[in-house]
Amino acid sequence: MTEKITPKREKLLANLRVQRYTPGKDRAPYFDNFKVEVETGMTVLEALRYIKDTQDGSLTFRAFCRSAICGSCTVVVNGNPVLACSTQLMPILKDFGKASVTITPLQRLPILRDLVVDIDPVIEKLAKMHPYLMENRDRIPETLEQESLMSQKELSEFNYITDCILCSACFSACSTVKVDDNYAGPLTIAKAYRYSVDARDSFRGMRIQAAMDQGLWSCVQCRKCINVCPKDTRPADSIRHMRRIAIDDGIHDTPGSRRAKAYTDDVEKIGQVNKPMLPVIVHGTKGWAAIEAAEAALAKHGLEPTRQVCTLPGQEGAAKIYAKVREIEKKEKA
Amino acid sequence: MLTYDVLIVGSGGAGLYAALKSRMEEDLQVAVLTKVYPTRSHTGAAQGGVNAALANKDATDTWQDHWFDTVKGSDYLADQDAAELMCREAPEVIREMEHWGCPFDRTEEGKIAQRPFGGASKIRACYAADKIGHVMLHTLYEQGIRRGVNYFNEWMTLSLLHDGQRCLGVNALDIRSGKLQTIQAKAVILATGGYGRVYWNRTSNAYGNTGDGVALAYRAGLPLKDIEFVQFHPTGLRRTGILMSEGARGEGGYLLNALGERFMSRYAPEKMELGPRDMVSRAIETEVREGRGGPDGEVFLDLVHLGKERILERLPQIRELCCGFEGVDPLEEPIPIKPTAHYSMGGISTDINGLTPIEGVYAAGESGCVSVHGANRLGGNSLLDILVFGRRAGNHATEYARQTDIQPMLQNPLAPAETCIKALMDGESSETIADIRRDLGNLMAKKAGIYRNAADLTEGQAGLAELKARYKRLKIKDKSQAFNTELTTALELGNLLDLAEIVVEGALVRQESRGSHYREDFPQRNDKDWLVHTVATRGRDERPVLHFEPVKITQFQPEARTY
Repeated sequence: MTEKITPKREKLLANLRVQRYTPGKDRAPYFDNFKVEVETGMTVLEALRYIKDTQDGSLTFRAFCRSAICGSCTVVVNGNPVLACSTQLMPILKDFGKASVTITPLQRLPILRDLVVDIDPVIEKLAKMHPYLMENRDRIPETLEQESLMSQKELSEFNYITDCILCSACFSACSTVKVDDNYAGPLTIAKAYRYSVDARDSFRGMRIQAAMDQGLWSCVQCRKCINVCPKDTRPADSIRHMRRIAIDDGIHDTPGSRRAKAYTDDVEKIGQVNKPMLPVIVHGTKGWAAIEAAEAALAKHGLEPTRQVCTLPGQEGAAKIYAKVREIEKKEKA
Repeated sequence: MLTYDVLIVGSGGAGLYAALKSRMEEDLQVAVLTKVYPTRSHTGAAQGGVNAALANKDATDTWQDHWFDTVKGSDYLADQDAAELMCREAPEVIREMEHWGCPFDRTEEGKIAQRPFGGASKIRACYAADKIGHVMLHTLYEQGIRRGVNYFNEWMTLSLLHDGQRCLGVNALDIRSGKLQTIQAKAVILATGGYGRVYWNRTSNAYGNTGDGVALAYRAGLPLKDIEFVQFHPTGLRRTGILMSEGARGEGGYLLNALGERFMSRYAPEKMELGPRDMVSRAIETEVREGRGGPDGEVFLDLVHLGKERILERLPQIRELCCGFEGVDPLEEPIPIKPTAHYSMGGISTDINGLTPIEGVYAAGESGCVSVHGANRLGGNSLLDILVFGRRAGNHATEYARQTDIQPMLQNPLAPAETCIKALMDGESSETIADIRRDLGNLMAKKAGIYRNAADLTEGQAGLAELKARYKRLKIKDKSQAFNTELTTALELGNLLDLAEIVVEGALVRQESRGSHYREDFPQRNDKDWLVHTVATRGRDERPVLHFEPVKITQFQPEARTY
């Protein structure tokens, strides 16, 4: 029984709006419109190459492997950072119900030309994180006669992070990068974490310091990096884990770790965070200035500020949960 | 002038391993020139595994078994001393990668895990899920950061400079600024990858696998070896040539022609879809030639009958690739596929240390040819090749650079590169890159692809001469200095045209079928006349001149290659 195969292939005329800019030549970025006949299977990258080959040879973008493993072709399509090579156009056109797609370069990075941005700032931030294994000689033999041993479970602690292709989509989407030039960005902290929890490594302390120097506690956990990562490496989770190991390693004297500790301690004691006093706990005596400023602002609106926080009903339940967690942790450590 | 002790051109596994080895001693200045960023090199696309007889899964495996498999797989064209060395050193380089933190998957005892691979007699391929090349590349790059390797990202190398005896350096284009520079170096290691892009869209290779290092070595007078041998993988996606791994057929996928027939019953009635790569590729090509292909000259890989559950459990990656790159969901319809050029066995002719006839000039990895792959590369041996010979080239270049002084530079060294770029910028404007490139790909696929014969190859020669003439009339319309990708792709096309010519010449002269090279008019292997390497140098008229060198046979006498 054979049946003739007729593939379902559609065509649709689409308008691609592409951002153009050559520094030194153009005063500001502008948009060019290109008509492209999109057929089933066509990716954003294929469309860009079609334009370059047939309509405008000066259209500039990066592309290399075209199989979603090199991270060169990251661009922003209708507001979302994506790999152009693995993004199908037809579903986007159909989803939006209009034959137009807007393509812009990654955000938060200097434009070199059209869709090409300078990713050196990301690489420089990465390099400061000691992003490499420093041999733990208890685990790694001195000579090449033997392998070091590692369990699949130890590997799974960080294996998902090794999928990162440095495409910088997360950097472009990051809420903290947007407001803080010195912040390391999601992927670099994730990489620092990857090596910090590798059982064969000996350099965790240096990496935690490097991450703190570059804003480990500045991440607001908006999880945009998780949404845009084409490899599903969940950078925001790694950042949270990195904070945890910093505290586990005894770093309790930074504003970030004090805040984290205040949250957990307060909930155990009173069932909620003692927000009015948080600035003092986090920033020490300097925090009083913040409290006084906040109180003055409230007073202006005729509201009476309070430094008292009541214990919430059900606090005993919270305390029980804490006790249970401690018990489990103790068992796990033993 | 920028000056380095060791300069590496290309940032894949071979280049980065060489850079790391040269820099670990800390007394040498080492730089890597790459036209991309190091972690974007095509090594990262390798999925399956890297061979080393660690005997972690099969205690009976030895490097001698690996050696034999490699030589047999090469259809006896590999130099057996080089293959021996590669297989013998394999366990050590894998352990070195492992000690640098490469996240291999693990066995129950915590050792490096291994999986079975085509053409291997034992379970030997070390792996990291389906991303072994990616994690190797990143590990090498990161260790390079640690050791202070200088990376010149987005620099394209245009010419190799030497004084006829010793290495002097290179000319390179800084893509960002558009400026040309001469970089002086005691030793240069060319590690720029393969030239699968001579088949343009009929390849699984990256856009940039244009054989730049091979072409510039050729233009600098260095000999190339076995260029006519290019491996085709049977199942690449129709539109892009991206690979659908052998796993899909291993799980029970059918190959169907447009009439819906399982055509492999005509070619390999017993093994059916699981016949050897070259045989399946030829079968597909025959179906299409005889008019039983789809509207775009494709056939179909059908998984629908396996059922949703099995596909999602066993072949999730394959499904994702299909949806993302082809817009076809294999749960619902057959995947359109075409055979796709996958690996260049040939390259710059070197000795077992990666050294070329010019002192201080080395080549390694897919751009080099020692040769260990002969007429056909074994799965899992490409990653091993780049590690072993990247390392050897790095070590040897380090020793050489220590004992050598910087040589006096040529007068006006930039001149040839400037002339070349000026010619492209000021061409006559009647031709476009896209047209020439497309015609090149079609010509090579039709006349010098999976099936070859004297008549086609002769037409291929004529076609290439015409394409080269058209290339001379090419004009770059983009006049910007900054990030001029029209210019860089034109330079790449020039490299492809030179290499395509050598593929065709070699294929025409070699009157036999061996490994990836199949001549319809000479369908048998001929050890009496053709157990030799084809060596090509550039003649006075800029056409390749071929001569032949014996294959080194130390242990295994040629036998029929059956599986």
